Amino acid sequence: MNYTFKWSVLWSGQSGAWLLQGVITTLELSALAWLIAVVLGILSGALRTVPFPPLRWLATFYVEFFRNVPLLVWMFFWYFAVPPLLPRPAQDWLFNHGAEFWAGTLALGVYHGARMSEVIRSGIGAIPRTQFEASVAMGLTTFQAYRLVILPVALRLIVPPGTNESLNLLKNSSVALTISVAELTFQTRQIETYTAKAIEALTAGTLIYLVMCLSIATIMARVEHHYAIPGLISRRQPAG
Amino acid sequence: MMRTLSLLLALAVALTATPALAQDTLDKIKASGVLVIGTRTGSPPFAYVNKNNEWVGFSIDLVEQLVKPSVEKAVGKSIKIEKKESTPPTRIPLLTSNSVDLIAGTMTDTPQRRESVDFSLTFFYTGAQFLVKKGSPIHGVNDIAGKRIASQQGSTNAKILREKYPQAQLREFPDQPAAFQALLQGQVDAYTNDGIQLAGLKVKAPKPDDWEVVGDFYSEEPYGMAMRKGDAKFKAAVDAGLKRGFESGKYFEIYDKWFGAKGELPYPMTPQVKAYLLKQIGK
Repeated sequence: MNYTFKWSVLWSGQSGAWLLQGVITTLELSALAWLIAVVLGILSGALRTVPFPPLRWLATFYVEFFRNVPLLVWMFFWYFAVPPLLPRPAQDWLFNHGAEFWAGTLALGVYHGARMSEVIRSGIGAIPRTQFEASVAMGLTTFQAYRLVILPVALRLIVPPGTNESLNLLKNSSVALTISVAELTFQTRQIETYTAKAIEALTAGTLIYLVMCLSIATIMARVEHHYAIPGLISRRQPAG
Repeated sequence: MMRTLSLLLALAVALTATPALAQDTLDKIKASGVLVIGTRTGSPPFAYVNKNNEWVGFSIDLVEQLVKPSVEKAVGKSIKIEKKESTPPTRIPLLTSNSVDLIAGTMTDTPQRRESVDFSLTFFYTGAQFLVKKGSPIHGVNDIAGKRIASQQGSTNAKILREKYPQAQLREFPDQPAAFQALLQGQVDAYTNDGIQLAGLKVKAPKPDDWEVVGDFYSEEPYGMAMRKGDAKFKAAVDAGLKRGFESGKYFEIYDKWFGAKGELPYPMTPQVKAYLLKQIGK
């Protein structure tokens, strides 16, 4: 290959600062979106299993509507279609205070909430129906049964697929560059623009994503281990 | 896809071409009676195929009305113009392989390109400006502090703003449609790009009269006609034609035909540009 590598572009000039800034933005964006996704996911996932049809329909509508439209479209939706619904001064205030970032966060959070919802629902579905019946028989209301019995068990069951979703969310945050959020992928492109060294910049971006994702996976594995209820999941694999 | 095709074409042209002996372009034209130009087919109003299927444009008019008479004078006989399509990746190979004699389209004269080709006098001059809503407080690059400015990611304009005007809130979009949409809806206060591109966008806006292109150029994009390097006699003939056009005012008539108020793309010439063009011929 006729290409001269020049890895020093990654730490000379402003590249290092740009990458760091990109990592911070990616983490902020992903963390906030993750919180939205988890809250919406638990709520709608639980609602899809309750014995009250209108709530089930509502939750089903949310899930099917939001997960079946491409994320890129949601980015444009939250950035271009939502602000015009607000009064003009509010719009201007938003656009001066990081509207791009918030639109990106909402797009990512609401989209992944719909996907998270299915994960939670499958967790709830894995719990024998008798547990719910036993809870109600003991005098708990439906809400109490979900809060005290069903959800605590379901959330433990869904840690592995939940981790999967979380990693997807982190990587999907790169779509926010289409609405000018200067996250990690944006910054790697920036380095490429300035130095014309595409391979070095992309490699740096790839490694950073890899490290972030591996860290999350490790933390989640520990969480799973820590909160495991002895005897609930019979075949626990050896750690590692 | 088009890009790949163009590149392959360029490669094919470069490989099959007989090594260009230092042939004098004027001798070649004298022998064949034809001046072959490489130009664009889809860059209105510089060079494009119009509704009546005619290959026309500002750059083509300049060749036919200014350069052709001058070359005819130099070779001492009347000649014909033959047009071939050239695109950014193919135009330099087409020249060096002798397939065309002159590139007359939308080529920016840059120091890097001057290493492989020669350029005529500048025949069109554009640079970075701002597209804003009519009545906007932004009149140029000095009014953008604190304002939200859209730009295209990776463009030289974005780079200049980031380095020299850090007080502006720069918003970089990966493509032109998204940036333009952000301007239309008020997400940003202005969109910056080459002036001539902004003029093209303005025409396409839902209500063109609501928008205006403002500001002096804060970057330079001079367009020139490209020729094989080191052919001084041919370059002198081409430059003489353009120079005559500037002197007689013919050039400005042609400019007005394409860029005047009733032209294909209204883009009035600023005094700054006029001075730049005339300075080339010592005025």
